[in-house]
Amino acid sequence: MDKLLRDKKAITIFIAPAFLLFTFILFIPICQSVYYSFCNYDALTKPQFIGFENYRQLFTIDRTMKIAIKNSTFFLIFSVVTQLIAGLILAALLTNIKKGRNFFKNVYYLPCVLSSAALGLLWMFIFTPKLGINQILAQFGIDGPLWLMDTKGFIILPMWVIASVSLWQYVGQSMMLYMAQISGISSSLYEASYIDGCTKVQAFRYITLPLIRPMVATAMSLNAIGSLKFFDLIFNMTEGGPNHMTEVLATHLYQQGFKYFKYGYASAIGTVLLVLCLIVTFIINKFVKVDNYEM
Amino acid sequence: MKRKVLSVLLSTAMMASLLMGCGGGNDTSAPAQSSDDSSQEAAAADDSSASTDSSEEAPAASGDVEEITWMFWDDLNATEDLISIGYKDVVERFNKDYEGKYHVNVVTTNLEEYYAKLNALVAADETPDCFIVSPGPNLDVYVEPGITADLTDYLKADGWIDTFNGGEGAFSQQTYDGKIHAVPLNIAAACVFYNTEMFEAAGITTMPTDWQGMLDACAKLQDAGYTPLTISAGTAWCLSMLAGYLCDSEGVDLAAIDAGEASWLDSNVVNATNKLVEISQYFQPTAAGDTNDVATANFYNEEAAMLIQGSWAIAQINGSNPDFEDKCGVFAFPGTDGRVIAKSDSLAMSAKTAHPDAVIALMKYFTDETAQKYTAEIGGKIPVTTVEYDETKAPAQLAYVMDVFGSAKSTFGFYNESMASTEAGSTFDDTMVSIYLGTPVEEGLSSLEDFFKNNVWNK
Repeated sequence: MDKLLRDKKAITIFIAPAFLLFTFILFIPICQSVYYSFCNYDALTKPQFIGFENYRQLFTIDRTMKIAIKNSTFFLIFSVVTQLIAGLILAALLTNIKKGRNFFKNVYYLPCVLSSAALGLLWMFIFTPKLGINQILAQFGIDGPLWLMDTKGFIILPMWVIASVSLWQYVGQSMMLYMAQISGISSSLYEASYIDGCTKVQAFRYITLPLIRPMVATAMSLNAIGSLKFFDLIFNMTEGGPNHMTEVLATHLYQQGFKYFKYGYASAIGTVLLVLCLIVTFIINKFVKVDNYEM
Repeated sequence: MKRKVLSVLLSTAMMASLLMGCGGGNDTSAPAQSSDDSSQEAAAADDSSASTDSSEEAPAASGDVEEITWMFWDDLNATEDLISIGYKDVVERFNKDYEGKYHVNVVTTNLEEYYAKLNALVAADETPDCFIVSPGPNLDVYVEPGITADLTDYLKADGWIDTFNGGEGAFSQQTYDGKIHAVPLNIAAACVFYNTEMFEAAGITTMPTDWQGMLDACAKLQDAGYTPLTISAGTAWCLSMLAGYLCDSEGVDLAAIDAGEASWLDSNVVNATNKLVEISQYFQPTAAGDTNDVATANFYNEEAAMLIQGSWAIAQINGSNPDFEDKCGVFAFPGTDGRVIAKSDSLAMSAKTAHPDAVIALMKYFTDETAQKYTAEIGGKIPVTTVEYDETKAPAQLAYVMDVFGSAKSTFGFYNESMASTEAGSTFDDTMVSIYLGTPVEEGLSSLEDFFKNNVWNK
């Protein structure tokens, strides 16, 4: 290994594929996109430099951008909080059961590996007034709400519905991350605590939680970035409607870029999204303190 | 050393196989390269289906087949839409008749993604040789940067243009500075479809001709226990089509609004929007979430008495419930002073195509007698050419639509396709949906006005 690390040629050869991929697939397009965000660009004609005009419109005129930021923020908070709690509870429960652990693990993780587009359509049908839930409620004489079309309230019902579906889909991922971390905790720590008179809840509070904190930070970062970039379920369940009320940053970007061909404007939204992801990751890493313990 | 050589060879083989995998993807659908004299004769015999230039060329030798791409907004293999099935027949007929000379490969996508994918191809300089497009702002974006070819000379070269109803007049929506940039394939008119049995049971003997008559009919139907109107607000353009009719009936001048000479807050727009709110009490309870397909199904499944739709719905109605054809009547939307919303599908050719003759030949197949007869007799849309079709074969509703269309004083386009941009059209659609969902009329129209101030009038 030491010999290999001294061989500069070998290092170059090993790093080159990742470096090239990162440069050409991520870095250059990001730079290009940032440049386009300062242009009036429709992809059909040459970009025309307009300075900060796209950003000015985005933050002062664009009503949908305000809705998108509100919804993305809601989504971020909802996902981070609910997935942290639900993921932890599921992980704690599943690590403590002996029978059927793998079965439930697979059941909870399954939605994660299914296509979001297909799941979005499935849930869209379930919440369509003529089908699914409302028809079942009608059997009991209950007039179901317009799950995906209601526009009342600060955070409208469709956003709660989509956020809940997203929790159902991705909670398995958080659960798996926490389970991996929990299973790495030495059983001798728990045995010692039980000898000292600890209850299971106390063991969870004083042993499990501190020791999985690094994974909490990782899972929160992943959830936060995933929530900010969230697209599939919203696009397939509401397409951002009605009247852009369920728009998030990624769907707004898509609509502006690929529906109205305002690629410059869409690039500005993309740049805002990128900056938000960086800020959120920074905040999580800064404020979720991680202590290293020997496990 | 041997190991190094072996690894280099393996790496090269791997890269080569990867590159081979990337290339030649379009060749899979190439026809068998056998010369079929009879089919070529058929193509040659059909004067109208070969352009002047291509008819002079000798049939291509085996291996010289000119491949072209045609992009369309429906899956031709999975579709149940009769018009799309007709297009599929056209493509198969073209490929068969021109076997060994031309071959069209179809690129399909769903309607919602169509323009996004087309634009991605245009941006990548891979514009399909031929593509379907709606006239209006959707076509404008391709004409202005020179992406579509001028078809005027092709249309005039051999009298092709004279086969169209109204000659050059048929191309008014596709003409820019005197140059024709697209060829219409069919026309659909937006009408009110109604269930004759329900109307009879509700005691409605004459069709409404004005707004009050429409409201009275709705009230009678409701009193008789029927849902008067089925419409989709989940698919915004459906509700917007009704709003378009109401705006037009109130004398809203869309061109003046586009030019900034009139306002969305003018009293006629407010009146039209109030009418929309007024009639919405007669919609099916699930209208807010129903898609276009669901709303149409409500009608042909006899869960509602009226459907305001384009005549393209005939194919869907009859295809889904053939027994319903006899019960389905059609009348013009009331109170519009003889004005009817009309829409056409059009074909455009890429200005950069290397095979213009093949594309023109394909376009001619779409507008030839066989295709246009199919359009009327099976698809239930109004043909664009002077073709004589068998009215007994055509769906019963087409005759009613033709009556409506024939007695119309003038036509106008879909509101959302007649505005300054596709985004402006979508904003109009969304505004109408939001007003239907409860946003106060003035508030909704103010947001539309704001959009026009910021995005249309100051450009």
